[in-house]
Amino acid sequence: MASDKQFPDPHQYVAEEIPPELEGWEEMYPPHFLFGEDRKDWEKKEFWYLDKIHAPYPMPPLDQIFQQAWQISLSQHTTRIFCIPPAQGVAHRMVGCYQYICAIEPPPEEIIKEKAELFQARAHYPVENYEQLWQEWLTRLQALGGELEAIYVPEELPKYLPAEDVFPNPFKGYAPSYELIEAFDQAVNCMYKGWQYHFNYLNLTYLYYLMFFDVAKKLFPDISDSAISKMVAGAEVSMFRPEEELCKLSRLAHAYPRASDVLKKEAPAAEKMEELKKFDEGKRWLQEMEALKKPWFYISCGSGWYHYEGSWINKLDIPFNYIKNYLERLDRGERIERAYEEISEARDKLVAEYSKLITSEEDRTTFFNAYNDCRTIYKYAEDHLFWVEHWFHTIWFDKMREIGAVIAKFGAIREADDIFMFNRLEVPTLIEDVTTSWSLGEDIPMMKWSEKAEKRKKILDAAANWSPSPALGPAPSEVAEPFTVMLWGVTTDKVDEWLKGTTVEPDKVTEIKGFAASAGLAEGVARVLKKAEHLDELEAGEIMVCPSTNPSWAPALSRVKAAVTDIGGLTSHAAIVSREYGVPSVTGTGIATSVIKTGDLIKVNGDEGTVEIIKKAD
Amino acid sequence: MIIMDYVLDYSEINKSFLNRVGGKNANLGEMINKGIRIPPGFAVTTDSYLLFLDRAGIGKEIFKLLAGIDLSKNVMLNDISAQVREMIAAYSVPAEVEEEVLKRYELLCEKCGDKETPVAVRSSATAEDLPTASFAGQQDTYLWVRGKEEVIDAVRRCWASLFTSRAISYRANNNFPHDKVLISVGVQKMVNARSAGVLFTINPSTGDPSQVIIEGSWGLGEAVVSGNVNPDYFMVDKILKDIHCRKIACKTIECLPCSEGRGVEEIDIDPERQTVPCLEDKEIIELVTISRLIEDHYGYPQDIEWAIEKDLPFPENIFILQNRPETVWSQKKRENLLEKKSSRDLLLERATKIIRL
Repeated sequence: MASDKQFPDPHQYVAEEIPPELEGWEEMYPPHFLFGEDRKDWEKKEFWYLDKIHAPYPMPPLDQIFQQAWQISLSQHTTRIFCIPPAQGVAHRMVGCYQYICAIEPPPEEIIKEKAELFQARAHYPVENYEQLWQEWLTRLQALGGELEAIYVPEELPKYLPAEDVFPNPFKGYAPSYELIEAFDQAVNCMYKGWQYHFNYLNLTYLYYLMFFDVAKKLFPDISDSAISKMVAGAEVSMFRPEEELCKLSRLAHAYPRASDVLKKEAPAAEKMEELKKFDEGKRWLQEMEALKKPWFYISCGSGWYHYEGSWINKLDIPFNYIKNYLERLDRGERIERAYEEISEARDKLVAEYSKLITSEEDRTTFFNAYNDCRTIYKYAEDHLFWVEHWFHTIWFDKMREIGAVIAKFGAIREADDIFMFNRLEVPTLIEDVTTSWSLGEDIPMMKWSEKAEKRKKILDAAANWSPSPALGPAPSEVAEPFTVMLWGVTTDKVDEWLKGTTVEPDKVTEIKGFAASAGLAEGVARVLKKAEHLDELEAGEIMVCPSTNPSWAPALSRVKAAVTDIGGLTSHAAIVSREYGVPSVTGTGIATSVIKTGDLIKVNGDEGTVEIIKKAD
Repeated sequence: MIIMDYVLDYSEINKSFLNRVGGKNANLGEMINKGIRIPPGFAVTTDSYLLFLDRAGIGKEIFKLLAGIDLSKNVMLNDISAQVREMIAAYSVPAEVEEEVLKRYELLCEKCGDKETPVAVRSSATAEDLPTASFAGQQDTYLWVRGKEEVIDAVRRCWASLFTSRAISYRANNNFPHDKVLISVGVQKMVNARSAGVLFTINPSTGDPSQVIIEGSWGLGEAVVSGNVNPDYFMVDKILKDIHCRKIACKTIECLPCSEGRGVEEIDIDPERQTVPCLEDKEIIELVTISRLIEDHYGYPQDIEWAIEKDLPFPENIFILQNRPETVWSQKKRENLLEKKSSRDLLLERATKIIRL
């Protein structure tokens, strides 16, 4: 059902509002991701909003695969597997390189009834058997990641197949052309399967969270969202393991003065590693590091959603710089580890204190019924993240680069990363064109892939300078889909704010909104860090403005006055770490890094989730 | 022989003294003994008031007059109220009471290093600050009172304020017999308030027990209490101590001591100070910490008046002026907000919920 709030009509918007510099954008995405004639009537009555949480930046075509995979997986877990009664799935459309999503309106009443029965029978098993199910889940995903990593990619399409691959034995019966075709198809299958796993318990986790949220709000009508998430958030979650492992490595190095001296140098990681190889303690340290690189260095330097973010494993300078920083802190006698026990104790104390305020015994029982189940399954929300978005995606990106390198070597694209300029349905065509050309003989022309890649890079750059409408179509009068409520925080206020801000140019924006992730006020000079490599530019006392943070940014958070991110909700890692450090923070603004410039004087209100630009830098 | 204490230091008082020092003073005694900072001072007990009535021999007549009031007749109420207060003004404070009060005042002056230390002289009736009826503001308070004569006079005026029209009708409407309500007076060093206001350890509008609501403005708290100024508003989570909602008001007037340091007046606030928050974050947090001690001490939500002294460093600048039970929510029988539900029930409830936008 639609309310009377109306955003631009999607079809008209696509036809009239996309800047001319983006011309050709629609070729970058599969056709069923575009608004069009075929499904016009349905598209017009739904409400579409910009997904700033997962996709705040223009979408490189191949990176869309995660979104494509989750549209199916998230939705089916709601509609067909756990059967959340009034909720339907989340549909996607691309508009000028930006992703819009839509929580489809509830199904007919009889379907809701049907689903309610199924839901009741299905929804409790996971929380009642969580520990066992988690172990099984992890085993399953790790096996799949192993499979993805093991996919064989030929080094090149050789002029002639080497003799030893032809005879005497074993002749595989197929050549690198097929291997390349198979490699990509297999990788895509793994990715889709991994994203099927991703949602195994996530929809329910969010529902349990919302259930506890409701209970807490009934008992404490004015409690802040961040207080509720603080009660639920865990300290010992997989996402924090990489940082923890770095702390251990730093401690180890600190015990080996010579290794410590090398690691504290201002030098690239590769150089440091060469030096460490030259003495026993250094070698021992390197062995330790090698042992834990898998999986703990498979953490993205960003959100895990974009290929260009990179991960520690292929940007070793980043973890090495953290180690340098930790060693310096150890030299000063500071503690570097997060105090897991203290954090857990503090959380338990918090819950105990709130529960003490509940005057009725019955209410207290109900509160704990909700809390305990929510806590049990909430671990899933925190643990799956490292394994899918970071570990699994890192393997994927590396595999794609391996494939891209073969194609680049053959000359169809300029460099390995250009593979990301083609969507997951185009890459098979690219590979087929390449392998066909190789098979046909000498100097067989291919389509102009390279040109296309260059053009698309320009479109993506242009799209980065465009601020699309926050929403399209008629605003709904009701919403039931749990992710829409919890993750994207679609509320009346948000819709109204979107309505207000539909036409503001980025350089005219003076206030932006996000989640009130960590309370407090701070005013100071902004430092915009688009990438983790730029962390060392940060000066103490500045306000960090970045796309997203994960626990690997923690060393920086201890030095800043406040933090603002584009991506991430109340339970995002930026939020958790900020709260631990008592740093005011606003997360999930969607646009902070494009609107705020380094040197701007800004005011962060972590109580209300607003950031005000007080004075623009000259 | 019963020993009459006409005056008691706050440190000698606790809540069992309610009948002798009234609600406000009894609570202040509890506070100081709990280690909470209140302005130094003493209470003139109800014994003093009773002795006064006895010496003057006007008690019987007063209550006879009051018994004859018809509340529906405003003119009559006002006339009798005025008549009673004139009767009280006609007699002087008994010598032994005056002697005791002045002795304590001199000690206070000595301690403060000012022979005419300014004090706040506040009424504290025995039916007051009860969980059932606040009697808030029913009797008078005199601020920036200086010098012996003025202190004695203010004490007597507080006694008389037991018989203002509004006090009489409030008692009658709440079924408190006039002769069963006694009055004590508190004399405390005046806080030279930079900012002041009120704090609730529960959100009075929603009943949320996890929140502290603070309202404050520049100058003395009278401007806030009287509603003459829109105060700054802060909502603080009492457990996390997060200030998660602030509304900074445009504060146009403040209540300050008159230029000669006697009495108070309302003064316009400079435009540049009007929208500056009247409290610093650390002061807010300290107030919340103190208020939790007070609430825990009593075991139910509190309504607390506070002030920030202009001339003292943090945190010694924070004073509690009075506290009383919060009346609205403590009156309500706390019913179950949720029913007894398993997480299965709750989950289904949530899963079938449709949020209206």
